[in-house]
Amino acid sequence: MDESVVQARIPQALVSVLGVESKPTLKAEAFTEAFLKNGLQRTPKCDLKSMLSHKAVVLDFTRPKKEKKNCKKAKGLNAHQKRAMKVFEIKPEHQRYELFLPLHQLWRQYIVDLCGGLKPTSNPNVVQQKLLKADFHGAVITVVRSKCPSYVGTTGILVQEFKHVFKIITKQDKIKVIPKRNSVFAIEINGFISHIYGNKFEHRASERSAKKFKVRGTIDL
Amino acid sequence: MKVWTGGKQGKQRWRRRSNTTPRSLLVCERSSFCDENNRVSSQVEQLHFNYKVSVLLSDCSSAPSHLESLLTSFSHFYLVRNLPLHELLDKQFLETAVYQGNVYGLSYRTRLDEDNCVALMPNGHLVLSLDKDSFQVLGFEGKTSTFNYKTKNRYVVTVDLTDGSMAPGRQAYLRLLTGLTSRLPLQMDFLLSHHPGGGASLQALLSRYIWSEHKPEVGTCSLTHLPCPDLQSCDPHGLLEWLGAVDANISRDNSSSSFLSSLVCPEPKRTVSRALRISICGLLLPHDVQRLIQELRCYLGQCQPESWVSLTVHGFVDSPVSWGGKEHGVLRGGENFYTLFIFHDHTYHLHLAAGAQDTCPP
Repeated sequence: MDESVVQARIPQALVSVLGVESKPTLKAEAFTEAFLKNGLQRTPKCDLKSMLSHKAVVLDFTRPKKEKKNCKKAKGLNAHQKRAMKVFEIKPEHQRYELFLPLHQLWRQYIVDLCGGLKPTSNPNVVQQKLLKADFHGAVITVVRSKCPSYVGTTGILVQEFKHVFKIITKQDKIKVIPKRNSVFAIEINGFISHIYGNKFEHRASERSAKKFKVRGTIDL
Repeated sequence: MKVWTGGKQGKQRWRRRSNTTPRSLLVCERSSFCDENNRVSSQVEQLHFNYKVSVLLSDCSSAPSHLESLLTSFSHFYLVRNLPLHELLDKQFLETAVYQGNVYGLSYRTRLDEDNCVALMPNGHLVLSLDKDSFQVLGFEGKTSTFNYKTKNRYVVTVDLTDGSMAPGRQAYLRLLTGLTSRLPLQMDFLLSHHPGGGASLQALLSRYIWSEHKPEVGTCSLTHLPCPDLQSCDPHGLLEWLGAVDANISRDNSSSSFLSSLVCPEPKRTVSRALRISICGLLLPHDVQRLIQELRCYLGQCQPESWVSLTVHGFVDSPVSWGGKEHGVLRGGENFYTLFIFHDHTYHLHLAAGAQDTCPP
């Protein structure tokens, strides 16, 4: 809309009809200014003049900015690289049962300490709860029942525990890989024989210490 | 039997009805003893473990003397209490008894569908029928039972003791021995028998445990005015039912006052004035049954032309093996028996019957 239309004087003929009269220019300007001043809210933020006055601007003595160091976290190796490095393989000259007997003694001491001195009068439930979180590397483990008949009866010292298998070394100096699924294992310590149901035990040893075991499903093979 | 069922959203699926009655098998054969290819002797040899033989002689009031003497000369058998199974793998027992092909052994009072059953056949095969837990603990190779293979409750371990791999000292032999001694020490009552002349072989084994010697029980009963069907034309099912009723002494009058049995003798029938029923119970060996058949044929040769003889041999219900070492199971009955009708002119009718969990008789 054209501003000249708004600012045009009202014709004389319409004065009596509308009931208003145009004021002279100077009076109209003064009136508009006064009207706006009363009507609009004055925010202190917009008060630029007061913002700029009485403020000191420091030119020297600035703090030097610290440079952020690019700290790279060690990303670690992925599984492909780990397998290539062959860290977890046991060399044939090390595959002797006698070499692992000290490890077994160490494990026995560890378990006895863990269960607070494994006396014949200890409560089996307490021992069982402790064993659930314990580490089994170095234990003498026996397969008691299995869906596959050829696994039954194998006995040896546990060398490595993975998510789904046990690697044990038998007295005949053979490394046997026994899947945990569908097998029941027995571990004996100081007269306490515990049976591990492999179906419920398929976790990494490191994750098992933090795992809560729930009674779910059957222990039938 | 398959049935259409209307499923959700108009999908139609097949569903199998599982409430059909268990099947039974009956194999019938008619031939003559004079025929060279007759299968009677081979049939008799193949059913190793027999517990009852019933004989029905028509037109006879008392047992002839030859028959009496034969019946009393049946092989004796031994019952051993609580025999540990690893004793069957004893080296001396193997050499003296098993390798000679002399020994018949069967576990006594073990139910085939619930407990573990063991059979030792004369050809040196040891058959163990185990339930799931026992098999998983034993740790010796075996197969699931051919019956109820989906639920996998029953496993059969078959070991050939005469094979080279099972010779004492070999790996397989040691594995089975450690399995039966340390992992699964089974003990059960055992029935043992041997071919004539092999008695000494069992003595060493028997001397270590509680044992008792038994001879087969013989019972005779003479019957008068026995209605019997026409054997040549009667259908096998009706005939066997009538014969079973005679053997079990069930009345076949179908009188209105009796509510126990409504069995009737199949038509057409004639009345036999006198008949003799003999039953022998125990662990009966096939060669004794062969001798009995020979004796009955001789006796029949001296009788009238219309007379006949029927011989029914029942196999053990709880035996893990049936004809020829094939697997046997018990569903509701567990019957496996054969009936032989012998006629004056050297012809015979042979009926072989098996239950639901049996393979077809040979």
